[in-house]
Amino acid sequence: MRISPYTQQIVLNALSAADQSEQTALLQLTTGKRVNVASDDPSAAAREVGISSQSGDCDQFLRSIASISAELQTADSALSSGVTALQQAISLGVEGANGTMSQQDRAALASEVQSISQQILGVANLSYNGKYVFAGTADSQPPYVAAAGGIVYQGNDSVNQVEIEAGQSIAVNQPGSQLFSAAGASVFQALSDLATTLESDSSTTDDIANATNEVRAAYDQLNSARTFYGSTLDQLNASQDFLNTEKLQLTQQSSDLVAVDINQAATNLTNAETARNAALQAAASVGNLNLFDYLTASNGH
Amino acid sequence: MSSLLGTMSIAMGALEAQQAGLQTTTNNIANLNTPGYTRERPVLQEANPILQSGIAYGTGVKLCGIESLRDSILALQINNETQQQGQSQAYVNAMSQAQTLFPDDTSGIGQAISTFFQSLNGLSTDPSNLALRQSVLSAANGMASAFNGAANQLSAQRSSLDQNVEQDAGEVNQITQQIAGVNAKLAGLSNTSEGYGSFLDQRDDLVQKLSGLIDVSVINDGTSITLTTKQGALLVADSQSFALSTALDPASGVQHVYSQGSDITGNISGGALGGTLQARDQTIPALQTQLDTLAGGLVQALNTAHAQGFDLNGKQGGNLFTPVSGAGAAASMAVAISDPTLLAASSDGSTGSNGNLANLSAVANQAVASGMTPTQAYSNLVFQAGGAVSDATSELNASNTMLQQLQQQQASVSGVSLDEEASNLLLYQRAYQAAAQAISTVDQMLQTAIQMGSGT
Repeated sequence: MRISPYTQQIVLNALSAADQSEQTALLQLTTGKRVNVASDDPSAAAREVGISSQSGDCDQFLRSIASISAELQTADSALSSGVTALQQAISLGVEGANGTMSQQDRAALASEVQSISQQILGVANLSYNGKYVFAGTADSQPPYVAAAGGIVYQGNDSVNQVEIEAGQSIAVNQPGSQLFSAAGASVFQALSDLATTLESDSSTTDDIANATNEVRAAYDQLNSARTFYGSTLDQLNASQDFLNTEKLQLTQQSSDLVAVDINQAATNLTNAETARNAALQAAASVGNLNLFDYLTASNGH
Repeated sequence: MSSLLGTMSIAMGALEAQQAGLQTTTNNIANLNTPGYTRERPVLQEANPILQSGIAYGTGVKLCGIESLRDSILALQINNETQQQGQSQAYVNAMSQAQTLFPDDTSGIGQAISTFFQSLNGLSTDPSNLALRQSVLSAANGMASAFNGAANQLSAQRSSLDQNVEQDAGEVNQITQQIAGVNAKLAGLSNTSEGYGSFLDQRDDLVQKLSGLIDVSVINDGTSITLTTKQGALLVADSQSFALSTALDPASGVQHVYSQGSDITGNISGGALGGTLQARDQTIPALQTQLDTLAGGLVQALNTAHAQGFDLNGKQGGNLFTPVSGAGAAASMAVAISDPTLLAASSDGSTGSNGNLANLSAVANQAVASGMTPTQAYSNLVFQAGGAVSDATSELNASNTMLQQLQQQQASVSGVSLDEEASNLLLYQRAYQAAAQAISTVDQMLQTAIQMGSGT
C-alpha cells in the first residue's frame, strides 16, 4: 500500500491535539475549576446553579439570624430589668401589708410603686432601630400610652415570622398584649391598683395583700412570656450552627461537582507537554531526507 | 523485415514518451505543496505491432495521455464529512457565545433570582426599614436587568447569525459560479487533454469548499457534474450555476434562503449554513422561549403575591413588576415601583408586619415555568445551552478525526512523493538517454548505408 507522503499534516494534527489538551489543563489549573463553561459538563453546571443558590440562601439566613438575635437580646435584657422592677413592687406590697406601717409610710410606698410603673412603661415602650419592639406589628408608635382610665395598649397582637432555614420559619416578636397587658394579668393595672390601695386610708392589710397578689400574677405572666426570647435565641444559635455546617457541605458538593482535581490536571498538563515535545521531535527528524539528496550526491562525481 | 527508418521512428516515439514522463514528474514536483493537487502520471502503452511476413515487429511506445490519480469514492466521503464538520463548527461557534449568557456561578440570571429572594428574607427581619426595602427593589431591578441583558444578547446573537447566513449564501453563489465555469472548460476537453487533470483538481477543491458551506449532492455524468443540495435544490447544472438568494422573512424577522424562488431555509442541513441556521432557527429560539416563559411566570407569580399584601401606607399592593408574558417577556421585564414604601410587605396593613414577604418568598418554591421553580427553570437553561455546545463539540471532534483520516487516505492515493518522483526522474532520464543513444546508433548505421551507396 502506498503511504501518504504528507507526514507534516500528521505532525500538525498531533501538535494541535497536544496544544488543546495543554490549554484545557492550564485553564483548569489557573481557575481551579473543571467546569469553566456549562458545556464542560452540562449536568454538573446545572446542579451547580442550585447549590450556588442554596449556599447564598445560607449566607442570607445567617445575616438575618444575626440581625434578629441582636434585637431579641435587647428585648430580653429590657424585659429582665422589667421583671426585677416587678419583684421590687411585690416586696413593696408585702412591706405595705405589714400592720405596723403608718399611712404616711404606705403613701411613700405607693409613690415608689408609681415610679416602678413608669420604669416598666419605659421597658414596654422600648424601641430598637426606630421601631417599638413590644407593639406587635403596629410598631411605628409606642404601644403603651397614658389615657384617662390608666395606661392602655395601642399595639396589635400580630407576630412576625422569619425564615431562618430553608422551609423553617420562627416567630420573632412577642406582642405587649402577651407581656404587659395580658387578660387578668396586666402589669400596669396591677401596679396602679397596688398604688391606689396603698394610698387609700380605708385599705385593710388584706386589701393590700390582694393587690400585691395581683402584681404577682402579672409578674408570673411576664416572667413566663419572657422565656420566649431565651428559647428563640437558643433556636437561632442552633440554626446558626446548622447553617454553617450546611454551607460547608454545599461547598464540598460544589467542589466535587465543578472543582478540578489538581493532581489530575497537573498530570494532564505534563502529558500534553510530553506529547507536544514528542510531536516536535518527530517533525524535526521526519521528512528531512528524500531520494533527491542521495541522487544529487551520486551525480556529483 | 524492419527498416532503419522504422527503428528511428520507434526511438523518436520513445524520446517523446520519456519526455512526457519527465514533464509529468517535473509537474508533480512543482505542485508538491499545491493544495488540492492530484499527482499525475503518463499513460504509456505498447504501440500496435506490425506484421511482416508472419513476424510481428514492435513499433515502440505510445503516449495515450496523462492521468490524475484520484479516488472519487474517497472524495465523496471527504465532501460528506466536510459538510458535517462545517455544520458542527458553525453550530459550536454560535452556541459557545450563547452559553456564556447562562453562567452557573456567581453571575447572571440564576444569581440575580437568588439575590432577589435573599433580599426578601433580609427585609423580613425589619419590614418597615427603608434601606432594606430599597435593597429589595434594587435586587428586583437587578433581576429584571439580568433577564433583559440575556434576552437582548440572545437577540443580538441571532441577528449576527443572520448576517452569517447572508454571507454564507453569497459565498455559496461565488463557488457555484466558479464550478459552472470549470464545467464549461472541461466540456471542451477530452480526458487526455493537457490541463484536464488540473481542471478536475480545481473542481474537486471547489466542491469541497462548497461542502464546508452547505449540504451538497454530486451527480457525476462523465466530465460534467451536477450539484444539488441534499433536498434537491439545484446549485450547478453543467456550465450553469443557480444562485441562492436571501430575503427577510417578515414572520420570523430573519433572512430566509431561496433557491429559484422557493424557500429552502428549513431544508439546509449541512455545512456552515446548516449549522448557523440550526442555531439561529432552532436552538436559540428554544432558549428564548424558555427564558420568556420563566420571566413571564416569575412576574405573574410575584405580582399575585404582592397584590395580597399592603404597603407601608396601608394600601393594597399593586404590581411589583410590569406585567409581561409570551414572546419578549424577558426583554421587557421591569420593576413597576420605584418608591420603597410601596412594597407590600405587610399582610394586615400594619407597618411592622412582614406577613406578605412570606408569600413573595414562597414564589421561589412555586412552579412558575413549565412545572419548574425559578431556579430549576434557570438550571434547565444552563443545562440546555451547555448540552448543545457539548454535544456538537463531540460531533465536531469526531468529524475532525474522520476528516484527517480520510485526507491521509486521499493523500496516500493522490499525494506527491518526492522519493517516487526522484526515482521516476531517474528512470525517464535513463530511458531518454538510451533512446537518444539508439537514435545516434541508427544514425551511424544510416550513414554507413549511405556511404555504402556512394562508395559503389
